[in-house]
Order: sequence, then structure tokens, then C-alpha cells
Amino acid sequence: MGSFLFEQVVNGIISGSMYALIAAGMTMIFGVLRAINFAHGEYYMIGTFAAWYAIEKFAVGYVVAIVLGVAAAALVAAVIGRLVMQRLVGAPFQAGVLATIGISLILQNAVILAFGGGYKVFEGGWIEPVQFAGIGMAQQRIVLIVAAVAIFAALEWMVRKTRMGKAIRAVSQNIECCHVNGIDVESVVRRTFLLGTALAALSGILTAPVNVSVYGGMGESITLKTFAVIVMGGMGNVRGTLLAGMLLGVVEALVSGLIGLQYRDSVGFIALLLMLMLRPHGLFSQKARF
Amino acid sequence: MKPRTIRHFACLAVCSAAALFAGGASAQDAYKIGLVSPLSGPNARYGAFANKGAALAAKEINAAGGVMGRKIEFVSGDSQCVPAEGVSATKRMISFDKLPVIIGDVCSSVTLAMQPLAEEAGVLLINAASSNPAITYKAGVGGYKWTFRNYPTDEARAAIVLEHAVKNRALKNFAVLSVDSDYGRGAINFTKKYLPRYPDAKILSEDYYKDSETDFRPVLSKIKNSGAQAILMYGQADTTPIVARQMLEMGLAGKVVLVGNAEFNTAKTIASAPSVLNGSIEAAAWLPEWTSPRSLKFVEEYKKANGGEMPNNHAYTHWETTHLLAAAIKAANSLKNDDIRNALVKIKYDSAMGPVTFDDHNQAVLPMVLLEVADGKPVIKSAIATKVEYPKQP
Repeated sequence: MGSFLFEQVVNGIISGSMYALIAAGMTMIFGVLRAINFAHGEYYMIGTFAAWYAIEKFAVGYVVAIVLGVAAAALVAAVIGRLVMQRLVGAPFQAGVLATIGISLILQNAVILAFGGGYKVFEGGWIEPVQFAGIGMAQQRIVLIVAAVAIFAALEWMVRKTRMGKAIRAVSQNIECCHVNGIDVESVVRRTFLLGTALAALSGILTAPVNVSVYGGMGESITLKTFAVIVMGGMGNVRGTLLAGMLLGVVEALVSGLIGLQYRDSVGFIALLLMLMLRPHGLFSQKARF
Repeated sequence: MKPRTIRHFACLAVCSAAALFAGGASAQDAYKIGLVSPLSGPNARYGAFANKGAALAAKEINAAGGVMGRKIEFVSGDSQCVPAEGVSATKRMISFDKLPVIIGDVCSSVTLAMQPLAEEAGVLLINAASSNPAITYKAGVGGYKWTFRNYPTDEARAAIVLEHAVKNRALKNFAVLSVDSDYGRGAINFTKKYLPRYPDAKILSEDYYKDSETDFRPVLSKIKNSGAQAILMYGQADTTPIVARQMLEMGLAGKVVLVGNAEFNTAKTIASAPSVLNGSIEAAAWLPEWTSPRSLKFVEEYKKANGGEMPNNHAYTHWETTHLLAAAIKAANSLKNDDIRNALVKIKYDSAMGPVTFDDHNQAVLPMVLLEVADGKPVIKSAIATKVEYPKQP
């Protein structure tokens, strides 16, 4: 039983790493915009699709596909950031909800229109199984965990030490003061959006080899789970997001291993409801920031 | 009224009459048939195959002169495999397009929701791909006079698969991992109905997955620990490669085999993890390797029409069902729905798989193939006619 629980915790940390990576971007975007990006899963999908396309059509290696996939998602995000997201600065929250849901529908259906609605098999990545503490897993999963930890360390450093990070923190605290101090709020919003969506795309491409299939609607369920993660982590709190992502992953793994796979998705929703009712400011902070 | 105004009126009258007449005439040329299937969402692939299969049949029937001198034309609707979407597509076909016949859906949950609509409107609903037994338990003498199904049910499938797994392969300990839908749960319920026939066999765990699920590690860890020899999987074709890949990385290849129905035998699935798929057992309505001349010709024509793509089971069943409908119209020598229905009840149709007749529940009695995957290829073990034994009506 002990080894079984350990195995489930490892399974949970793996899926939690993916949740955390996607959620990191969503929570940063929330920080600067006060808007939930309901299209976040679509950038995850577009990045994965672009990497799949690069591998299928141009027979590039997996590493090149990662770069191309993230670049493609960033390109789409750059256009949408300029046309839509930067206009949401100071707009009422309903505008953000409607705009991002609309973008989600457009992106999803554009991909279905261009590539068809069927599943594609993602060929690539390091899928050879290795043994790790008696648990068999694809090398890709180790890559995913290492990447998640490294990226969170880099994000933490970026937010604390760099000019860009300081600007992000400033914008998420007080937009008027930023205007007064000469911080270009719209540019910060655009750059944060770009970074956040690129992280979602990266997470999609890193998990694609083990999730195998790629299709237009793959981002939808991701957006909902990510939403639960950022609420648990405290909206706008990057460090909290990592822990919340891992927590959701581990609880999901335990529920599907001990109770039944059919109850897995209920974990995120129950967590979301409980958090909004009892601790709307997140698990890790004492006071609400927004 | 001034002469000019009168002229305007006259022109308007003539023009609109001409437009009406033109509209009427084009409706007269084509015999329109509804085709409800998932065209988007996780099951879109099934819908694409179904539409291509039906289109090929329509082309062949039209080339041979159509039905009662009229060409067949399909009106396609998207169900997304979601009952509410399927219902609205069906309502549009019944109320706006006034279609007399609808073929659909692939997903059992949708078909079950379509049945009352077709019944109320007196529209002939011919199903070509849903396998939940309840669909025809409720049809014919069971109630719905207008539902027919030209596809084997999960009851027959569950019985055949279980018998082969236990008797010929000596598998005893099963874990359930099926899709969370009327299809997946229905097939497992019927497996349980037949399980007591084999005293040694037992089900150790039972899990159902959502159709967008991609992470099977937690449940596979459980199955590995439980000592199950086989996974009973009635699932979606698109999920099988995901499960197979994850079984491979967890070291389950060769230790746990897949048993049931979820396209274990296609080249695409096998390529995802050959060592996992080897030894898997599946019962299917059809597969491209079936060697009857009619079946081989279908595969050839389908590939020619679709840029070399191999047809799947759903392409075949929709192609064959369209031909079956044309044969019923020919036998009825009428396009009236009552006549077509009576012809279907009495039909003896030669399909690529063998003879097809309908029982008093409007369920097709037709052969089904049992196959195993060996060395990366499907091997046909037997073809078994599937006659459902209904419980006695109270």
C-alpha cells in the first residue's frame, strides 16, 4: 500500500507540473489585467498543434518543434495581445470574460477548420520508459518535472529581480501609480500576456508525447482545471500556483487511484467551489490582494 | 391602379411563382436523407468516416440510377456526440428540412435521445453505428416503430469477447477501463450479465474515463497492483493510443492485454505501442481485412475516393446502411415511409459481412468478427451471427 501511495503521489506530481506550468501564465495575466484568460487553454492547444505540424510536415526534430511551437503560439498571442488584451486595461471584468471566451471560440474553431476535427497522433519526444524508484515512466515525464521546477525558479527570479518583473508587480498593484511613474502599462500587459501564453504552449508541447493526441478542443478542459489552480494558489501569486498545481495533481491521482477515474475531474471543481466559498484569496496568502 | 403598378405586381407574381416552382422542382429531383454524426469534438473522426462512407454509397447508388429515379442527397448534421446537440440537429432536419429518413448517430447516448423525436414525427431513424443494447430493446415490439439498427449490439459483443477471453485465452482477472457513456457503461453491464457463466472469472476494479481524459497513470498503477491480466475496454478509438502508450511506459506490455472494442486493430493504434496491442482481443462489426469480394471492393473504392485513406468500421457501416436503405426502397417500390419500413422488416439483405435480417425489435441479425492482434496485425478468429435473446415481456 505504501509503495502504491508513493506511486500515486509521483503520478500526481507529474500531472501537477503540467497544471502549474499552464497556470503560472494565467495567474500572471490575471495579476496585470484583473481578467481571467478563458482562452488560456487555446494557446496550449495552438503551441502543441504547431509543434505537431512542424514534425509532420517538415520532419523537424522534437527540440526544434518545441521552439517552433512556442514561437507560433507567441505570434498568435502577440497579435491578440495588441488587438484585444491591452484594451482590457481598466475595462470592467465582464469585458474580459466575454473577450477571452470569444477568442477561445475563434481559435478553437479556426484550428478545427484548418486541420479538421479529428485527433492527430503526436510523434516525437522521449518516450522510452525508464525506471525511477521502481516506477516505470517515459523519460519525457522527468523532462516535464525538471522543466517545471526550472521555469518556476526563473519566474521567481524574474518577478523579484528584473525590471520587467518589477514592472509586472507594479502594474498588478496599482495601475494609476504606474501611469504617474511613467511605466507603459499596455506594454507590460502585452509582454506578460506573451510570456504567459508561451508558457502554456511550452507545457502543451512538453506533455504532447505522453498525452499522444492533439485536437482542436484539447484546451477546453485545461482552461477549467487551470482556473481551479490559480484560485487555489491565490490569483496573481506565482509561487502559490506551483504548490496548488502539484496539490491538485496529487489529489486527482489519489482520487482516481483509490476511488475511481470517473471522479477525477470533480476534484478540481470541488476545490474551486470550496476555495471561492471559504478562502477566495487562495491557500497561501492571509489577505485578498484584489 | 396605374398600369405601371399593375405591371410591377404581375412581374412580382410571376417571379415568385417561378421561384416557388424552381424550389419545388429541385426538391423533387433529390431524395434527401439526414445524416447525424459527430463532426467536431473528441469523436469527430467517427463522423468524418461516417460521412465519407455514406457519400460513397450515394455516389454509387446515383450512378446506378438512384432510388425510384431520384438521386440520393445527404443533409449532414453535427451532434458532437452530445445528446443536446444531436437533438437540435435532428429537430432541424425534421422541422425545417422535412427529411423522411435520418441515419444516425454514432454515439449511443445521442441515438437514445433522437429516438423519441423520430417516433413522434414518423421519420425513419436508421442507426448504423451505436451499440448500446437499449436502443433496440425499446424498438419494434419494444415501442419505437420507426427505429431500426443495422449494427451489432454490445450485448452480443460483450458475450462473444468474454467467452473468447476466458475459454480460449484462459484470462480470469479483469479490470474495467471503459468510456463513461451509455456505450462504455452498457457494454460493461452486459459483460457482468454473462460473467457468472464462468465461475473463475472476476472483475477486480471498475473505472470509467471522460472522453477528453489523457492521463491514465493513476488508474493503470491501480490495475498493475491489482494483478489483473486483462483490461476490459469498451472505449473510443482515439483514446486507445493514449492508454497503450502509458501502459508501455509503466511496463505493462505483455503483462496486461486489452479486451473489448476500441479499434485495437487499426494500423494507427497498433503503431502507437505494438508490444501493448499484441494479444489484444476485439469484436468488431467490420474491418478492412475482411476478405469478401464486396468488402474488398468497398475498401478499394473508398480509398480511391478519399486520397488513399483506409476506411474504418464507421465508414463501412454507413456505406452499407445507405445501400440497405436503397435496397429497401427498391423492394418497397415506393418512397412512402410506411412502405419503406414494411420492406425493412421483411428484407433479406446481402451485406459484405453476410446476410442481414431484422428481428421483431428492428435489430439487425448480422455477423460480427472476433479478432486478435498478433505481430502487429489483426488476425480474424471467427465470424459469429449475433442474435439477441430478449427477456420475456411481462
